[in-house]
Amino acid sequence: MNKNYKSIIGESLKLNKGDYKEIRIEENISTRINYNGKTRENVSINSHFGGSVRSMCKGGWGFTSFNDIQKAPEKMKECIELANYNNNPEFNLAKNDPTKISLPPIVKKDPRSIKLNDKIQVLEHYKDLILSEKSIHGCEIVYGDTERKVIFADSDGNEIEQNFVHVILRIAANSSDGKEMLQSGFSIGSLGDYSIVENLDKEVLDCVKKSVSLITAPKIEGKETTVVLDQILAGVFVHEAFGHLSEADNVYENERLKEILKLGTKFGNSDLNITDGASIPELRGSYTFDDEGTPASKTPLIREGVLVGRLHSKETASKMSENLTGNARAISYAFPPIVRMTNTIIENAQNTTEDIIKDTKDGLYVKNWYGGMTEHEMFTFSSGETYRIKNGEIKETLRPVKLSGNLFTTLKNIDGIANDLEINQGGGCGKGGQMPLPVSNGSPHIRINNCLVSSG
Amino acid sequence: MKKLEKFLQDHFEQFEIFEQENEYKSISFESNNLKEIATKQSKGFSVRSIKNNGLTFSSSSNYDLEKFSSNFLELSQYPISTNIQFPKPHKTSSKEVKIFSKEEFKIENDFFINNLRKNIKEIQKKFPDALCDAEYDLAIGKSSLVNSNGLKKETFESAISFYISAQLINGNDMLNIYNYLSSVKNFTTTEIEQVTNKLIEDLSIAQKIKNTPKKGCPVIFTPHGLYQTILAPLLVSFNGTNLSKELSSLFKKEGEKIFDEKITLLDDPFIDYSPSSRNYDAEGIQTKQIPLIEKGEFKSGVFDLKTAYDYGCSSTGSAGRSLNSGTFPSISNLVMKNGNQDISNIIEQIDEGILVDHLLGAGQGNELSGDFSANISLGYKIEKGKLVGRVKNTMISGNAFSALKNVENLSKEKETVYGSMSLPFLQTHQVEISS
Repeated sequence: MNKNYKSIIGESLKLNKGDYKEIRIEENISTRINYNGKTRENVSINSHFGGSVRSMCKGGWGFTSFNDIQKAPEKMKECIELANYNNNPEFNLAKNDPTKISLPPIVKKDPRSIKLNDKIQVLEHYKDLILSEKSIHGCEIVYGDTERKVIFADSDGNEIEQNFVHVILRIAANSSDGKEMLQSGFSIGSLGDYSIVENLDKEVLDCVKKSVSLITAPKIEGKETTVVLDQILAGVFVHEAFGHLSEADNVYENERLKEILKLGTKFGNSDLNITDGASIPELRGSYTFDDEGTPASKTPLIREGVLVGRLHSKETASKMSENLTGNARAISYAFPPIVRMTNTIIENAQNTTEDIIKDTKDGLYVKNWYGGMTEHEMFTFSSGETYRIKNGEIKETLRPVKLSGNLFTTLKNIDGIANDLEINQGGGCGKGGQMPLPVSNGSPHIRINNCLVSSG
Repeated sequence: MKKLEKFLQDHFEQFEIFEQENEYKSISFESNNLKEIATKQSKGFSVRSIKNNGLTFSSSSNYDLEKFSSNFLELSQYPISTNIQFPKPHKTSSKEVKIFSKEEFKIENDFFINNLRKNIKEIQKKFPDALCDAEYDLAIGKSSLVNSNGLKKETFESAISFYISAQLINGNDMLNIYNYLSSVKNFTTTEIEQVTNKLIEDLSIAQKIKNTPKKGCPVIFTPHGLYQTILAPLLVSFNGTNLSKELSSLFKKEGEKIFDEKITLLDDPFIDYSPSSRNYDAEGIQTKQIPLIEKGEFKSGVFDLKTAYDYGCSSTGSAGRSLNSGTFPSISNLVMKNGNQDISNIIEQIDEGILVDHLLGAGQGNELSGDFSANISLGYKIEKGKLVGRVKNTMISGNAFSALKNVENLSKEKETVYGSMSLPFLQTHQVEISS
């Protein structure tokens, strides 16, 4: 670790006040390249540097962030004063064995070694490919790579430096019949591997074809129906429908919710197994330590349909007397860590996708995603592509739909889980103003009965 | 920064340096108790330069100017094609809109803590089981804009917001309602009381779950519901970026009658103490009122310098910017002309219908077409002219353009939405309800 940082950290943590103190210092540099319509709209390099301190006193927190790292020790004093306004029952924060470690980034084809010009050439090629189709009106391409160094130290003796390199890419094609604009696209991402950006001609052309096919596609009428979700959309589904309520900060101070979400409660059928874990390697939600210095783990959330675990920070694990899971994450130094998902997965079951579709008389095959949101037990998520299923066969293209459900009924309505798990790394998650946090979601194909859908 | 100016002068025809310094404070209660007090300080700068009709942008909060300059030169080999002129100095108008108050940061933390506690207690008097979150957020900022055409602007801004929410759980049903206020300067006790009382009133009605009315029932939107459902997807088409890229269906349709005669919509930057007001925009262009729709006729989109250049018009003084981005067109205060009926009258005339207030999942679809589709997270059932409870597991979908083509009713009353919009209640038939 940089010597200058070491003395600043030492100074900040030595104050003999506050029940618990921590400091984070972060350097990041990101490259962004965007295309919109027919032209390149942005090529930029943004570099940021800053730190924050957090302290617990009288059962509550003080938090202060800043750009001038030299001021960290005096910011810690200010932060402890803020924390002292609290007046809650005191408790002991969960602890783990303190670690001193410095971890290099996980990289395969390192985006930092690729020349800016080469990145632009690849994207320029995809833009031209999209625009070469006549009915296409324009494209939307968003490329980003970010290098992030985070140094964390706390009054329990942790001193952890972690380095991350992320790559994201979204490509979409807009088509139009002169009246209406329609879009089809895909999002991908990786932890430190630029090669995901290369050799996408097939995917790009496929996206162009889908965009054009939307022009003549009809809208569905809103109703309850059977839906078969592909791996990408089922991943978004598990994140929204279940993942957010497994974050313990939604539960730990809510007695009624604690009863409803008691471990051992049945939420799904016996072939439903859900897991979250940052220790699942080399995905965008992967790391070795969370932003409170807790080692990452793999947490079973649902086993055979029964709730068996939830995601914790040090505070929620202490207050609920459950084990630490290493899910406290902050999107940058300017925010305190909160409980977040990492890589969230519905595990494979026995069915084949073919059989699930064959067995569906009347319904929708929904693929790919636009977005998703959760508010307590209610959630919505939207498909990027929709097809009708009639008598066990996939039929015509329809306009994308929005799906909506309720934790207590929708999970039980999953009546088919396939064996073709795939993980999508193109998404980001938002919570408490911290967005987009790198996560990944995965699932095999699944079928849900009586799901409320409407065109949109 | 003088060194940076010199570097830019040496290498580019035009340049602009934007620097921003902000301070924030938040005092938050979670589940009825004080949870965290946080302060933030941030400082950074961004640069735009122009050479040979090409624009380059970069930003940093790490003042390593040598590294910044070398990155910037590399980036300038891949400029964005445009031919804009950064503005020259201009006289500031004698009457400036009020966007700054420095008093709020001097207020003791105890004042905010006591106020939040008092309002939570008010809710608990009526609903002892309610779990409340509440928060004050304060921001104060200084930004400076310097360009190679001699413009020098320094702006001081402030904002404060009060937020309170309550959750009630009954069996497996979770009801969560929030309310808030935001302004440039602190609120009066009465203003805060009104926010809390409205929340208590909403909770009382929403506790009862009622069956969703049949498809085709009358639908009224509260001012918040109107923005979230219809205006948010509609305004995507007024954005200069989408107009200049021909992605907006309003492309070159200025002067055409597209909406119902009752609809008049204005972007008004001159509302005192609104956090979205501005005297000049983020490129230093003087702001003005922009008619967006007048009696159903499409008047204008909102543009910054670049999108205006691409569209072939003048900037409307609508540039916004964040540290990490270049500029982008943005609306200041959205104002819709009200109607002539009391909202109570409009509701009284309805036998069975819905009053839509909050949506879940809005804005995650094909917004360019004006389509919307979402779950109604808070919508009241109207029965025989009265609000009798809330609907659940219900979706709403439709198209913003169609919804504003045939407007049944606009209310006389208006409410402030997100601290900066002034909107009435609106009734339209052109939406679909499914459950």
